[in-house]
Amino acid sequence: MTATALPRKVAGFTPGMIGWLAFLALCLAIGVASAFQVLTRGLIVTHMSNTVPWGLWITVDLSAIALGAGAFTLSAVVYLFGLKRFQAIVRLAVFVGFIGYTAALLALVMDIGRPDRFWHPWAFWNVHSVLWEITWCITIYLLIMVFEFLPVVAELKAFDRWPRFRSLAHSLHKVAPYLALLGLGISLLHQSSLGATYGVVKARAIWFKPSMPIMFILSAVAVGPAVTMAIAYVIEWVTSRPTIPHDILRTIARFSGFGLLIYLYIKLWDLAATTYYGRTPSVQEALARLGDTTPYGFGVWVAEILLGILLPVLFFLLPRFSRRPGLLVLGAFCAMIGVVFNRWDVTVSGLVIPLNYSPGTIYQSAAGVYWPSTAEWGVAIGVVGYALTLLTLGIWLLPLFNHRPQGQ
Amino acid sequence: MAKKRQKAKLELTRRDFLVMAGTAVGSAVFAQAVTTGPLSPFATLRQRQVAGREGDLGLATTGKRWGMVISLDRCIGCEYCLRACCATNDVNPDKPWNIVAEEKSSAGQTFFFSRPCLHCQEAPCVEVCPVRATYVRDDGLVVMDYDRCIGCRYCEVACPYDARKFNWEERTDENPYVPTWGTPEVDRRPRGVVEKCTFCIHRIDAGLAKGLTPGVDFEATPACVSICPVGARTFGDLHDPESPVAQLVANTPTLRLREELGTEPSVYYIPPKEGL
Repeated sequence: MTATALPRKVAGFTPGMIGWLAFLALCLAIGVASAFQVLTRGLIVTHMSNTVPWGLWITVDLSAIALGAGAFTLSAVVYLFGLKRFQAIVRLAVFVGFIGYTAALLALVMDIGRPDRFWHPWAFWNVHSVLWEITWCITIYLLIMVFEFLPVVAELKAFDRWPRFRSLAHSLHKVAPYLALLGLGISLLHQSSLGATYGVVKARAIWFKPSMPIMFILSAVAVGPAVTMAIAYVIEWVTSRPTIPHDILRTIARFSGFGLLIYLYIKLWDLAATTYYGRTPSVQEALARLGDTTPYGFGVWVAEILLGILLPVLFFLLPRFSRRPGLLVLGAFCAMIGVVFNRWDVTVSGLVIPLNYSPGTIYQSAAGVYWPSTAEWGVAIGVVGYALTLLTLGIWLLPLFNHRPQGQ
Repeated sequence: MAKKRQKAKLELTRRDFLVMAGTAVGSAVFAQAVTTGPLSPFATLRQRQVAGREGDLGLATTGKRWGMVISLDRCIGCEYCLRACCATNDVNPDKPWNIVAEEKSSAGQTFFFSRPCLHCQEAPCVEVCPVRATYVRDDGLVVMDYDRCIGCRYCEVACPYDARKFNWEERTDENPYVPTWGTPEVDRRPRGVVEKCTFCIHRIDAGLAKGLTPGVDFEATPACVSICPVGARTFGDLHDPESPVAQLVANTPTLRLREELGTEPSVYYIPPKEGL
């Protein structure tokens, strides 16, 4: 049955396509081999330690969720704010979001010491824990995305046999606005809570500030849609078939540009706040140490602002650049790297600064050093490979773009 | 009709812009309110509520509150406490629960600093655990449920005193402190969970069942306290005004670590005579 659906598309088995599939297979193979190593020998194969207990995988996790934020942002724009012309991109956005969230869960399961107990947050509640809330929100939101996406899957030829499933899935269209509303609420909660995960830790002066959740959610809302936009362009280039009207993609880029400006404003405000009225002796000491003894000093902050925010803003907002799809995609790529870099920097910079709790003057816990091990890189490559494989399969098999407006 | 106009003009309309700006501002305000603002569940966070629920689950209310006083003035840095702890609880000596370090006061005077788990009453580790694998018991002890821990290490990240250690691998090492410094009284923790000092909870609970007094009878007292050759550590019930710990806290100037964080540790330190 599925075979009849494929021939026209299978004809596209060019050398490039075969090369791409081989690359994906390699990524997945590396991922599986590394995951096997981690599961059999334990987290000892990573370079995480009791000083730096979180590292690359948490970065992958946070980044994947932030970059999947296009799903809830664009769904809300279409279904709650009634900007129907953006409907054409909702399918792709939800699909990208689904990929991002499942990728994050994969990384998370590898990261915890007892993957066999991944279900514990649902069974044993600590409503005071940010991480508990995040786990719940991610699961619920993943379900919402599955429901939002079911009508698309039901359009596959394979479901010709089950018209009842298809009509059931299509009736989900009617609840789409409610799903979007629920998705918006849940996403605002957990996207910001990912920042609060760091922000509530009063043990660590660099993290302990109320701006953390704000910066996390703003960057996610700004960059998530841009990533969806860039993926649409790239798909168009690779498949040589139109995906989504370019004016919609340009408008999304403009939205991301304005979003990044707000994010920039909050980043500058945060800098002023930590430098002046939030400058307790412990914050001052930690920041000085960060600059003197680690690679995570002020230069990193400047680089992130320049490459991850200002450059994309220029590409997205100046008409002379925003008319060129290549630059829009480059801008989205920079913004994406900026987010990944930011999540890495937040995680590692807070952990490498030693804790100072002794009443004396010289003793403090050991300073942390962290660079991921081969196994950690391997799992990360596997997770990225999984995301790209799912994206490729989706483009290949799913009707992501030929969406007709409702009721036709 | 509005829709038609939007379709005709495909640039960002004023309406689009206002709606988007409204979304962005609304999102920011909402996020702020629920994470750190007035609607936040963290703003009024109290571990005692968590601990209280443990009491509801049927654990007897003892009215006790176990605490320790460590005299920085008496400590000679012999590390007996570290060794006895490692032997009794079968702890990996590379990642001891109980640390001892040589320290200097601001006047340059040498003294010795040691640190078990401080058993905070407002413990950050308890606050962040996503599965309540760690909680403040009714008697003030911060305990771990190794069967529930998922190994996310958030507690380790959140502890202001570096008191928690993760089991990165299945332990096969031989404990160099056994049997010279004691014999293991508890099982080794499995791979993939976080562990920490328990104030030798097994001794306290078993001792109380036998009618002994923790802090007075060696058998019911944490190993580090029992072995200390200079009596630098005192253990007992802070709620009992007659207990040695309560007496020391009442009659001696003491300090607690990073008190500004509001964690309410159960461990008090007597500073050296020469001052800190």
